[in-house]
This record gives sequence, C-alpha cells and structure tokens, in this order.
Amino acid sequence: MSASVVTRPSAVRRRRPRVGRMAASALGLLVALVWAFPVYWMINSSFMSSIRLQDGRVHLLPVNASWDNYTSVWASGSFLPALRMSLAVTFLTLAVTLVFAFLAALAISRFRFRGRRSFILAVLLIQMLPAEGLFIAQYRLIGSLHLLNTVLGVSILYIAAVVPFTVWMLRGFVAGVPIELEEAAMVDGLSRTQAFIRITFPLLAPGLVASGVYAFLQAWNEFTVALVVLQSDASKTLPIWLRSFVQASASRDTDWGQVMAASTLIAVPVIVFFLFVQGRMTSGLVSGAVKG
Amino acid sequence: MKMLRFAALGAAAALALTACSSGGGTTSSSASGTPEAATIKLWLAGGDTPDTLRDYLKTEFAKQNPGSTLVIEQQDWGDLVTKLTTALPDKANTPDVVELGNTQSSTFTNVGAFLDISDMYDELGGAKLLPSFVAAGEVDGKNYTLPYYFGSRYVFYRSDLWAAAGVTAPPATLADFNTDVAKIATADPKGIANLSGFWLGGQDWRNAISWIFANGGELAVKNGDTWTSTMSDPKTQEGLKQLQTLWTTASKAPRDATDANTYNHLNDADSVAATDGTTTTYSLDAATIMAPGWAHWSIGDLGQKDGKDVRTWNDSTFGVFPLPGVNGGYAPVFAGGSNIGISAASQHPELAKSLMKIIFSPEYQQMLGKNGLGPANADYVSSLGDDQFAKALINSALNSKLTPAAPGWAALESSKKLEEFFQKISQGADIAATAKEFDAQATPILNAKS
Amino acid sequence: MGRHPRSGASGLRASDLRVSGLSAAGPRSEGTSAPIARRRRPPRVPYALLAPSVAILVVALAYPLFWQVVTSMQQFGLAQQFGKPPTFVGLRNYVDLFTDPYLWTVVVRSIVFCLVNAFVTVLVGVGVAVLMKVVHAGVRIAVQVAMLLAWAMPVVAAMTVWRWLFDYRFGVVNAGLTALGLDFTGHSWLANPLSFFFVATVIVVWMSVPFVAFSAYAGLTQVPDEVLEAAALDGASGFKAFRWITMPMIAPVLSIVLLLQIIWDLRVFAQIRLLQDAGGTPSETNLLGTYIYSLGVGSGDFGAASAVSIFVLALTVALSWGYVRRLLRDEEQS
Repeated sequence: MSASVVTRPSAVRRRRPRVGRMAASALGLLVALVWAFPVYWMINSSFMSSIRLQDGRVHLLPVNASWDNYTSVWASGSFLPALRMSLAVTFLTLAVTLVFAFLAALAISRFRFRGRRSFILAVLLIQMLPAEGLFIAQYRLIGSLHLLNTVLGVSILYIAAVVPFTVWMLRGFVAGVPIELEEAAMVDGLSRTQAFIRITFPLLAPGLVASGVYAFLQAWNEFTVALVVLQSDASKTLPIWLRSFVQASASRDTDWGQVMAASTLIAVPVIVFFLFVQGRMTSGLVSGAVKG
Repeated sequence: MKMLRFAALGAAAALALTACSSGGGTTSSSASGTPEAATIKLWLAGGDTPDTLRDYLKTEFAKQNPGSTLVIEQQDWGDLVTKLTTALPDKANTPDVVELGNTQSSTFTNVGAFLDISDMYDELGGAKLLPSFVAAGEVDGKNYTLPYYFGSRYVFYRSDLWAAAGVTAPPATLADFNTDVAKIATADPKGIANLSGFWLGGQDWRNAISWIFANGGELAVKNGDTWTSTMSDPKTQEGLKQLQTLWTTASKAPRDATDANTYNHLNDADSVAATDGTTTTYSLDAATIMAPGWAHWSIGDLGQKDGKDVRTWNDSTFGVFPLPGVNGGYAPVFAGGSNIGISAASQHPELAKSLMKIIFSPEYQQMLGKNGLGPANADYVSSLGDDQFAKALINSALNSKLTPAAPGWAALESSKKLEEFFQKISQGADIAATAKEFDAQATPILNAKS
Repeated sequence: MGRHPRSGASGLRASDLRVSGLSAAGPRSEGTSAPIARRRRPPRVPYALLAPSVAILVVALAYPLFWQVVTSMQQFGLAQQFGKPPTFVGLRNYVDLFTDPYLWTVVVRSIVFCLVNAFVTVLVGVGVAVLMKVVHAGVRIAVQVAMLLAWAMPVVAAMTVWRWLFDYRFGVVNAGLTALGLDFTGHSWLANPLSFFFVATVIVVWMSVPFVAFSAYAGLTQVPDEVLEAAALDGASGFKAFRWITMPMIAPVLSIVLLLQIIWDLRVFAQIRLLQDAGGTPSETNLLGTYIYSLGVGSGDFGAASAVSIFVLALTVALSWGYVRRLLRDEEQS
C-alpha cells in the first residue's frame, strides 16, 4: 500500500485498437447528443415567446430570441424566496441523509449483529411501498409535530424517503472496498480510524458522490410531498413555483416560454452543483494514489 | 375549462354523498356584534383574479374590519383538491374563504366542508346569482358555496376560409352549422392539407357534449336517489349521431386529441412570403374550432410589437359566434367558472362573512366583469363590455350547463371513460351498442358508495 | 443473527465483523483479519451506527404505514376525512379489488413494462458507463455533461419537451424521420398502445439512464486497473476481461440498481399520466400507478387506495423475492 502504484487509467486502453476507440468515441458523441437534445430544446424554447413556440414550425434555433421570459419569470418576485427554500431543504436533506446512510451502510457491511438481517429487509421493503396514498397521513403527521410549512417538516419526510435507497447504494460501495486494504494499512501502523479515513473513505468517494447526487435531485425535484406539507405562499419550493407557471390560470393559456425559462432557472443550480461535484469525482480521489 | 378538467384530475369526489346531512354544523354562527380582530386567509385558485382585485379586497377588508388583516394565498388548480382534502378539515390551518371549481364544489359541500351561508344568500345577491352555479353549492335547499365568476365556450372561425368556400353568414341553427363545416372541409378552397371544417378531437367530450345538450339530451338523470347514465336515451343518441357525422365529414383531428390548445389549428404559421408574394406556409388546418372565451387572446395574425411576438385579432380573417341551437338561438354549452365558500372549520366565520360581502358588492362584481370574468350577479354582467367577445361570452353562458351533480361524477371523469366513449364514437363505432356499454359501466360509478 | 447466538459477557466473536472481500469476485480471505478488528469493535457499535437512520424512519414512516394498513380495511372516503367516523369493513376493499378482471390486465401490462424498462435502462446505463471508461477524455466529459444535464432537468419540463418532440404535427421526431425519407407526416405516436408504450419507454429510459450510468461508472472506477492489466497480459480479450473481472466487481452495485429500477418502474406514474393527457386511450395504457390514481385517489376512495398500495407492495415483494433472498443469502455467507 505504502508503495502505491500510480497508474494512469489509460494503461489498459492504450492497447485497444485505434479503430475501436474511434468507433467508441463516435458512439459516445451520439449518446451525448441524444441525452443533451431535450435539454437543448428546453433552453432553446426558453428564448422564444409562447406564440412562437406554437406557431407550428420546428425552430432549431430561437426565432426573435429575447430574455423576456426570464425577466417576466424573475419579475414575479417569487423566484428568490423559492430558491432559498429549496436550497435549505435540499442541503439539509443531503447532509443528514449522507451521514445517516453512510453510518448505516458501514454497520451492515462491516459488522454482523442481531437484527442486521431485519434492518436490511426493512430498508428493502420500505422502498417498495407506493407513496401515492400516503398524503393524508403525512399531512396529519407533520401537522401534529407543528412543522407544516417549515424546512424541517418537509426534510424529515424527504430524508426518510431517501435514506433507505442511499443505505443500499452505499452498502454496495463499501462492500466493494477490500477490507484487506485497511488491514494492510493497520499493519503499517495506522489506527483503524486512520486507516479508514485514509484508505477506505477515498475509495468510497465515487459512491458517496453518486448517492449524494441522487439525494440532491430527489429533494430538489420533489413536489407531491411538498405541495401537501408546504401550502403557504412563503414556503413554496422551486418545483411548486414551477407548477404555478404551468397551471397559472384557468382563463389564460399556459405561457410555455415562461415555463421553459423557469425550468431552466431551476436546472441551473443543479448544474452548478454537478460541476462542483464533478471536479471532486475526477480529481485524484478516484483514480489517484490509493489504488494498488 | 381548466377548473373542470382539474376537478376530474384531482379528485376526491365520489364518496361525497352520504345522505347529505353533514353540512356546516361544526361552526356555531357566533353572536352578532363586532368580531374579534384577527388575520383570515383567502385561497384563490390560479392566477385568474388580477392583482388589482386582490389589492382591493385586502384594502377594503382592512377598512371594514379595523385591526384585522386579509391574507390571500394562490393555489394551483391542479393541486387544489389535494390541498382542500388535507387543509380544509384542519382547524389550525384551514383557509377561511376558498375559491374552487364548480364541479369540485358539490363534492366538498356534500361532505360538510363548508359553512351554511343560507342566511346571507339574499344579501349576497339571491336570485340574481347564476342559478346553475348556486345549485352546485347547494345541499337540501341550503347554500354552502356561491358562484365566484363564470366563463363559457363559443365558436371561433376563419371567416376568410368560410367565405372562400362559399359560406358567408354564420349558421342560424345547429343543423346549418353541421352542414356548413362539412361543406368547408370538402371544398378546402385554399388546398390546405388535412383541413378540418370543424376541428374536434376524438376525445374532446367537453365540447362534444354541447351537441347532446342541444338536442335535449342529458349525460345522466336522477330518479329518486339514484343516478342513471343516459347515453342510450333517444335525445342523447340524436346528438351522438350528429357528432359521428361531424367526425366523419368535417374533422380531421386525431381521434385521441382532447380540447387542449385547439386554437393553434386556426392560426397561420410564421408565413414566409416570397418576393412575388405568393408563397405562404400555413400551420392552419382548421376553419372552425370551439374554445373557452379567453382563447381569443391566442388567436390572430402573427406580428411584432416592441420587438415582442404578438398575435393580433383581425376581424377580416377571424370571427366568433355562440354555437347555435337546434331551433336557432343558442345551444347549451359546457359552463366554466368557480364557486366560493367559507370553510366549516374557520375560526373566524364573522370576518369571513364580511369578506364575502365585499366580494358580492356591486363594486367588486363590476371589477370582475371589467377583467373579463363573468360576474356572479346578473345585474353586473354588462360590465363585461359589449364587444363581440363579451357578447359571445354572455350569450353562450346564458344557456350553459354544468355536468351532472351526481356523487360519482368526478370519479367518472377521472376514470377517463368519457374520453374513451367519445373516441369510439369518433372512430365510427355503433352508437347504440357503445352507449349501452357505457351506461352499464357509468351508472354504478355515478352512484358510488359513500 | 439467529444462528449465531451471542456468547456471554465478552460478546466478541469473529463473526461480529463482517469480512467483506471483493464479494463476488476474487478469493476471499475470511477470518484472517478478524483478530485485529475484534479488539476494536464492541458489539454496540453497529447499533449506534444504525440508530440515526432507524430513528428518522420510525418518526417519518411509522404513523403513515400504520394509517395505510388500518385505512385499507376501512370504508374511508372524503366524508371520513371531514370527520365522519370510518367503518371497519375487513378485507372488503381487497375482495373488490381482486374480483375486478381489469386489475389483472393492468398487473400483467405493468410487469411487462417494468421488466422491459428496468433491463433496457440497466443495459444502456452500463453501456454508457463502459463507454465513459474507454473513450477520449474529451468525449467522456461530453457524455458526462450530457447525462448530468438530462438528470438535472425538472420532470415537468422534461415531460413537456418530450411531448413536443413527439407531437403529431410539428414534432422534431416526425420531422426528422420524414427528412430521412420515411413518411411520418402527421403520425400520431400515442394513438396506438404499443407505440404509446414505446414512447413511454424512451422517456423513462432517457430519464433513468444517467443515474444507472453514474452508479455503474462509480463502480467501474473502483476496479483496480492493475487487475485488468494483468488480465490483458494473460491474453484476455477486452470482452473477456469485462465479463469475468469487471462485471463481478461491479455486480453488487448493479444488482441494487436493477432492483431499484424494477421497484420504481413498477409504479411509474408521472410519465404515464402526463402522456395520457397528451393522447392515447387511457384504458389501454393504464399501468398500476395511473390505475391506483384513477381508482383510488381520483375518486376519493382512500380505503381502496390504501388496499391497492398494499397490494402493490406485496406484488413488488413477490416479483423480487428470489432476488432479495439471494441478496440476503450472500449477506449471510460473506
């Protein structure tokens, strides 16, 4: 371990035939194109007026492009409060979920104890319960805790919804890290905690990031629970805010340009978050010095 | 109209009818005198009530109830039923006054969600209030919710296409309408691909039921305590026959299309004119559509104003008229609009009543009309103005009908059986057999257990 | 666990520590490490580690679960929600449910849809992950960014855009296919149930692949390159190395991802509901999620809705039982 081999990930790839790699790259670009296209379409649409969007033509580039949709969405004045609310809920959910789930994943993948099997089974079963019929009970629960319209109230429900999955996910990653690595390090004189932090934890980083991203997106995009326990104007999260554009009015048509601008605005913080995380994913943590 | 659609979507209706005994008994109508100052909450559905009206309500309420405050919260139509289901019974969090769709109204009124305001009925307008909406908020002769505003749907057409096909005057009867639109589809005077004389989606039951109503048919009738689906009734069948003919002869709309965005089919695309002025690209593929009145904001020539895309109504290209009845006059169409009532769980019923008085005051009723929302009180309908849209709105609304107030109606709507039934008719299915099958399925749903 | 009775005061045994090897792959080295761990890990540690998760699950789920079970045996509608006492009806909600033949049509349809979608999603996801591993850095970043963008798109927006893309008159898909020489002018994708489910599958797979791809990619990056290099030196082809070395190593992650996809796809709701709003024939396109909605929540019969939810829970358990048992058995053995 101490003599860790620093290997470029490309060591194997270098032996691939050039043609194969070219083909793979072409396929990769095609995949990227297919997945990015609807996103492009959202952004493209956000620069056109609703009238233009419904004029019956395919516009690959915005016609008469303007920031009007963004300015009117912004002018509604409700974006920033909703953004604040969403950020608070999402980061509370993310932080608590990762800590709780990581500890639990450690427990079930590194220890044997009475009740372990039951816990695993329970976590699995909770995933399988359809949530569609629960809204009355959830409202009553949060109401009785006096947490309606609060960050904490909705976060409790989110954390409980995301933790089981995250435990499962992380358990797989923890199981994927050979305990021998830790032991070797301990033979080298590190304490178990040190060995864990220095050896195992970095190897878990991709797993933590993957499940963290999942938790983030769940909390960020969720709206069925939010609309039940966050009913006041002041406590709206972004997805609820977005819905108010889709169903703005019974006596006017939905302004699709504004919907797309609002959607784009919601996606921006996620992209920023991803870019941040992406940096962590590709940094030395993943392919770096600990391998070997 | 959207609120009706969402009534279906959201839900919660079917169980409503126990013997209708439960109405607002939970709140005692407190002693007269000045109510204690407090903050009350008004839920408005969607963004239909303009800000100026909201501000007026707040100011006026504060003026009339010194020390008290009105808070207005806007709820989205699509989520309204979920929110009403959870918050209305909750004394600690209930809104005091609530706007809701008129088909939602009977559902919630029947389970006792609203306060009995029969004592205010006359003061708020009484017989002047739109009767079909009042009925939707009534149980056993007691008033729980009252109309807030109404809307209606009427016919929009391309007068240029109609004229080119040789039809110069709007039809006087429903039969004329049926033949006219078929004639235009056949003539297709401008050679437009897939031109519909009348664009009617196969699943568009909200517009299609006008033909049933116009022929004196009903969707369901009540005998004693039981509702019966009446698609097999001879009058209903007459309407269905006309519809099937329309679908065969006049409409090229997809058989799985609904009433969403029909106006797009009436508009020209961003036309590209060549230098000789001959080339024009049409997105247009309908000579006629039927839509809620507000669609006129979305119909017109494409142009620019201050650098922004706008559609401008053009009288030489477009026209409107209310759907004509079988013997002339106006056909009954599907009404849109909303009701308003006081939550039975409200802790401040006196303040809530004070707000109701402001809403039904002449000033506020006229403000509604000036903003294109049909005022609940017939005395103030003139405030809608007298342009062609206001006239078409008023005339079509005069005869408009609501869907049956059966306990299971919302459940039937959300089952989407209506969409499927009309789709089958549009695809040429045998009317009698399909109607019989539908009735057999729908009747038990209409009388859903409570 | 049940078959390892605790041994007296010390309570310390080798089996208190789970020795996790490269679970499915390489040689296991059980036991050798236990002595080190034994001294350092008292048995209450795992309970302490689990406590926060258990606590939050109990707070947030105990009452709703209890409510759902009780309500499934009651006649509970809107009137009951507004204060009328509910009546206990035993299993009547369940009987009503099971005697409706349409339910079974929907069940079969949902299972087929769920399995097809789950497997396609996982296959494509793993494919994309492998692709990210083998292509030029520039292409990899392009793929990753595209996946992240798709993942970041709000569901409401994604569904709206997809509906536009498949629109019968002006959709990009029809325009594109027509430009390729196929006549798709005015083709309605949603009218035919099979083609409706094809569109639904495209959307569901598009939405779910980024998650699977990143999970699989994260799993792949855990595979030491040296092992692959050694295999390559031994003459293993790229495919063989993938099949016999990489796959087993990412298997734990993949099996969980697949299980979750199955669970999620069985109750897919929003996508189908929104597509039904755009077209299609509802009774021929209902899946369990939309069926529950129209039958239960849509008509305010919360008793029946609860019964259906519990039925779906049972169905999911039944569908995945063999799989879950194997997972649990692996747990036992490791």
